[in-house]
Amino acid sequence: MSDVVIDVGKRPVREVHEEIQAAAQAGKSITVTNTLSRHNLGVGLPAGCSIRFEGSVGYYCGGLNNGAIIDIERNAGWGCGEAMASGHITVGGYAGMSVGAAMLGGTIHVKGDSGPRAGVAMKGGNIIVEGKIGYQSGFMAHGGKIIALGGAGPSCADALWEGEVWVTGDIEDLGVDAVVTEPTAEQVAEVDAILDPLGLKDTSRDWRRIVAGQRLWYFESRDAKAWLMI
Amino acid sequence: MADDIEGPYEYPFEEAPEDLVQFSDGAIEGRPAGVPSSYDQGGSTRWTPEAISEVHALAQLGRYQVRGYNSFNKQLPTWDDLTFVPATMTRLPLEGYREKCDTKTVLGGGRGLVENPIELDIPIYIASMSFGALSASAKEALGHGASKVGSMTCTGEGGMLEEERAASNRLVYQMSPARYGLDLDHLRRADGLELVVGQGAKPGTGGLLLGMKVSERVSKMRTLPEGVDQRSTIRHPDWLGADDLAVKIEELRIATNYKVPIFIKMGATRPRYDVAVAAKAGADVVVVDGAEGGTGASPELLLNHTGIPCMSAIPAAREALDECGMSGKVTLVAAGGIRTGTDVAKALALGADAVMIGNGAMMALGCNSPRYYDDYAALGTSPGACHHCHTGMCPVGVATQDPELEKRMNVPAGAERVARLLTAMTMEVTALAKACGKSSVHNLEPEDLRALSFEASAFTGVKMAGIDRPFDWGTERKG
Repeated sequence: MSDVVIDVGKRPVREVHEEIQAAAQAGKSITVTNTLSRHNLGVGLPAGCSIRFEGSVGYYCGGLNNGAIIDIERNAGWGCGEAMASGHITVGGYAGMSVGAAMLGGTIHVKGDSGPRAGVAMKGGNIIVEGKIGYQSGFMAHGGKIIALGGAGPSCADALWEGEVWVTGDIEDLGVDAVVTEPTAEQVAEVDAILDPLGLKDTSRDWRRIVAGQRLWYFESRDAKAWLMI
Repeated sequence: MADDIEGPYEYPFEEAPEDLVQFSDGAIEGRPAGVPSSYDQGGSTRWTPEAISEVHALAQLGRYQVRGYNSFNKQLPTWDDLTFVPATMTRLPLEGYREKCDTKTVLGGGRGLVENPIELDIPIYIASMSFGALSASAKEALGHGASKVGSMTCTGEGGMLEEERAASNRLVYQMSPARYGLDLDHLRRADGLELVVGQGAKPGTGGLLLGMKVSERVSKMRTLPEGVDQRSTIRHPDWLGADDLAVKIEELRIATNYKVPIFIKMGATRPRYDVAVAAKAGADVVVVDGAEGGTGASPELLLNHTGIPCMSAIPAAREALDECGMSGKVTLVAAGGIRTGTDVAKALALGADAVMIGNGAMMALGCNSPRYYDDYAALGTSPGACHHCHTGMCPVGVATQDPELEKRMNVPAGAERVARLLTAMTMEVTALAKACGKSSVHNLEPEDLRALSFEASAFTGVKMAGIDRPFDWGTERKG
């Protein structure tokens, strides 16, 4: 049971946001109704906030999340949980493009598929997608893990830094500099520990762990003197 | 011979011996025609010594060259191609040594949307240059120097440096496509947010920081492995087009409670359209960075062969804002190759509301100053010619992450020189404005300028000196 119900409808998002922030600061549990896939719902929410969005939401829901527990009943538009520092976001349906873009920490759990570029430029945290991740997921991920339980679209794990993309199921094709490795038992245990609290642990899975081949990390020289030709 | 129909002409003297005809009485043997300049200098307008050495370098390296600093393209116009025509008989000047001239500059207040527009005492602020490209001491000195004279600095793409936040009374936080060091707390502690979609030095391409400058601290702030060659993204991760950008801007406004203005910074390419789109998407401030803009490192081809000159971008941007009815609502900031107050005044007259300086501010800190000659020589260069920001071996400690070199960047002295440069430049702007009869630097207008070259007139629409007509194509541009 929530303490506060906030109706969105056609009201200005700014007004809705102010009500959400006030309820969050007061430590109330919040249900947001009549969301109509509106953009920018639940941006920059603080730790201790627990909020549920009924129906679907538009762009940037849970963006810049700072510790809130966010539950989206159905689908989320682009950039869900972008730049999240900490907290937990659950998407009951599908997530659009760039879920968890540039996120720093926390967990995003998508029950359906996710669109292209899941976890693009992410710096940390975990994105778990029960379905398939769209093309170019993990593009230039600096850190953190993207875990896909239903396969991956084209150009998977393109141009990674130190992020990792874990996939079970088919991978349409790998991105530039993506290298498939056989995970160690310890690494699998680490992923299982992430999946376990979500009720998704299954020890029979055949994992592919994709990391950077590091060919894009450097021009050919790390020596300043080698750059003096000009 | 010419007249052989009538029979050969006969000299009334004995014919000259062939060796005399060939100047053999003193000419260089084998080169009796003399030595043309082409003999030692060459004459090919295509294969200049620079072009040949470029090919040699490419052939040896197997990659494009990378360097810092700014464009070496000789075809770019200079601000010296414009001159002011102060008040004479048709206009009344203000007393240059006595009367006041307003320099206050407000950024981002035009829409009436944000609680705290940025108020600067002068129309000049310090361009977005990252910690990473610059040393922490350089960033801190820029902050203090700008604060002293009521100006502002910008974080650049490397995240918010605590030293700079503490030093800078007004600080714009830049969100690059790579979103390094992004932090909600930093967003809320900033005086403005800047979404960068490109830069004048290398529009269409992301940032570049070679491994020598990706120190432990830089790598932590950017979540990168230490020592990698950081080649950043250029497309934003969570929006692609103008309609998405409008939603993104709303998100940032919500995240910062509508307190601070939102900037969009772009390289000057098609400003007449790009600026209109940025204004339509909801930006409070649009920063247009001309091709002359500097950078810490870039593929050299992009520095020299992309973007359009700042002087041509400003009138186009102003025309776009006028046409959309956004002049006065959206602030226009110009940057790229601005050296002194006279350049600032010309940019303002062409239509900019404010101006950003990068390389000039670095020079105030000590860039290219005549010290540490041996260290310049080790880079194969000398004071006044150095463009080796990319190596991280900056002899004066400005563009380096080497702790020993950074010690040469004295923060208090650097801050004071930056403050004095900004003061002097502002004084130059007001001197020109008053001569033109303007009680505010923002009243400078294109009519105060004349062009000294066809190019400058054609680029800007400013009237040619004397003839008092712009050099144009004889057709009015419509729509």
